[in-house]
Amino acid sequence: MAFHIAGIELDSRFFLGTAQYPSPEVLQLAIKASGAQVVTVGLKRQLAQGDGTGSAANDFYSIIRDTGVRLLPNTAGCRAAREAVTLAHMARELFDTPWIKLEVVGDEYTLQPDPFELVKAATELVRAGFEVFPYCTDDLVTCQRLLDAGCRILMPWGAPIGSGQGLLNPHALRTLRARLPGVPLIIDAGIGSPRDAVQAMELGFDAVLLNSAVAQAHAPVQMAHAFKLGIEAGRLAFEAGIMAQQAMAVPTTPVTGRPFVL
Amino acid sequence: MRVGIAGAGLLGRLLACKLAAEGVQVDLFDPAAGPAARGAAGWTAAGMLSPVAELESADETVFALGMRSLALWPQLLATLDQPVTMQQRGSLLLAHRGDEGAARRVVDLLMLKAAAEYAPQPLTAAALNELEPALHGAPYAWLLPQEGQIDTVQAMTAMTESATRRGVRWHWQTPVSLLSASCLQTQSQTHHFDHVFDVRGTGAGDQTGAHGKRVRGVRGEIFWLHAPGVRLQRPLRLLHPRHRVYLVPREGDLIVVGASEIESEDRSPVSLRSTVELLAAAHSVLPELAEARLVHSETNLRPALPDNLPRIEQSDGLTRINGLFRHGWLIAPALVEDALRGLWHGSTTNPLLNSEFRDVPR
Repeated sequence: MAFHIAGIELDSRFFLGTAQYPSPEVLQLAIKASGAQVVTVGLKRQLAQGDGTGSAANDFYSIIRDTGVRLLPNTAGCRAAREAVTLAHMARELFDTPWIKLEVVGDEYTLQPDPFELVKAATELVRAGFEVFPYCTDDLVTCQRLLDAGCRILMPWGAPIGSGQGLLNPHALRTLRARLPGVPLIIDAGIGSPRDAVQAMELGFDAVLLNSAVAQAHAPVQMAHAFKLGIEAGRLAFEAGIMAQQAMAVPTTPVTGRPFVL
Repeated sequence: MRVGIAGAGLLGRLLACKLAAEGVQVDLFDPAAGPAARGAAGWTAAGMLSPVAELESADETVFALGMRSLALWPQLLATLDQPVTMQQRGSLLLAHRGDEGAARRVVDLLMLKAAAEYAPQPLTAAALNELEPALHGAPYAWLLPQEGQIDTVQAMTAMTESATRRGVRWHWQTPVSLLSASCLQTQSQTHHFDHVFDVRGTGAGDQTGAHGKRVRGVRGEIFWLHAPGVRLQRPLRLLHPRHRVYLVPREGDLIVVGASEIESEDRSPVSLRSTVELLAAAHSVLPELAEARLVHSETNLRPALPDNLPRIEQSDGLTRINGLFRHGWLIAPALVEDALRGLWHGSTTNPLLNSEFRDVPR
């Protein structure tokens, strides 16, 4: 099951978000139950300091780090390329990682990515040596532009962040997978139930990133485990080759010659 | 008996009042400039007494402590020299049309965690209008009839006055650097007592006790609106897809609006984002607030342990209480009662508060 992202070998195809849990301790347990090796962390509000200096981050990040996972800082909350680039540089310094999940929001209601600002920020960050994980829509051309900008990984959405609506446009996602073979594609946002994660993996996506579906479950730790199993099942099914559907029933045991069967 | 208390926040003042009333000589140490300096999180809290609504993120331990405290507060306040406003008219959960999904996430969780008798009661538009005629625009409403509120500023002040009258000695601008059994160290000297309480909240830093869990500060921001003529009878929470917003009426035509919850120890003034989000949400359910005046805003840090649950640790000569997080006013009286029972009757750590984390509340 091992695969590579940005030159790193990972066993788990489950990327987990770290917001909205009942407590850091529940988050810690959920990370363990998920088997995730990469978790995203928000920065914008946590690092903001009134006087503009340094960071007032509390113990939250070290509690996450204690689980031994790799951190993928994100630029959630940014609305302009410049803002996201500044935050990415702060994240690199603070967490000592070139990885950045690039989010640049274009619409406040749907929180959908602004493709223009995203490509602009990605271009600049790749040039500055970052490994950019851009959160994008499922639009093929935007994805191609991001690859042109030097991104090696793409994170198309399944549905708006936190909405739990699942994969709203499987057709677009299938197109992405077919047209961008060899590019690691991670479904990010919109996953509601493990069923959605199974579907994403069966479509051939390399991994799934989600947060609310686990954090807001009644029992987050148990749900993290459910998603782990779903993601593994979906990937195994994809690799095993899912048989095509057909209209006519086919018996699994021959019936010819048996009495009373019409 | 002589007792030393490190930390003059809600717990420190409550302990001082109770102990002094029993004839104990109490010395209280705090880095704050004076009795009215608002460093302690208890000053900033809106004072909602919401054991049921808090089940969204808390567990049944906090619920049980909260229910006990609701009964204890009136007795406690009756012993103070100054009046403190406390009421128990229930609280409301509200949701806008279009936000049904967000509301259901919370209400379903409360239904699952709370016993049937405490479950949120759905209200018709007519019933809501009768309870709170000023509310508009949020057609989905639930009543939590047991819940209440306390005026935190009045209570902090009244506890200080009563403790002083009972002979409590205050040591302001005096941070405690180290604590051990019956012993408390400040910068200049070591003090010896029969028993020492560590109730410093975020001020405890690394020294939170034998369990080895560090206390962290969680930033919260609130606003005071002066809104004469806007009538709100009880606290309400808006179940919004992105923000948790509550409105709490307070004496003097005030409405307290809170609160952000940010994993940060930044004490600097409120941010523009929190201002816009919280106040726009408040205005969306109480349109008359448009001409209210923003008279005060405040930032503080909630002391939280990694499980966001409170903890009492008691050994010979030393009691530590910490991790009250966003539940200080909700649970303090019951926690103090448990701690003092341990002190008088020699029972050790309260088993209720040392339970290991359980994922699924059943």
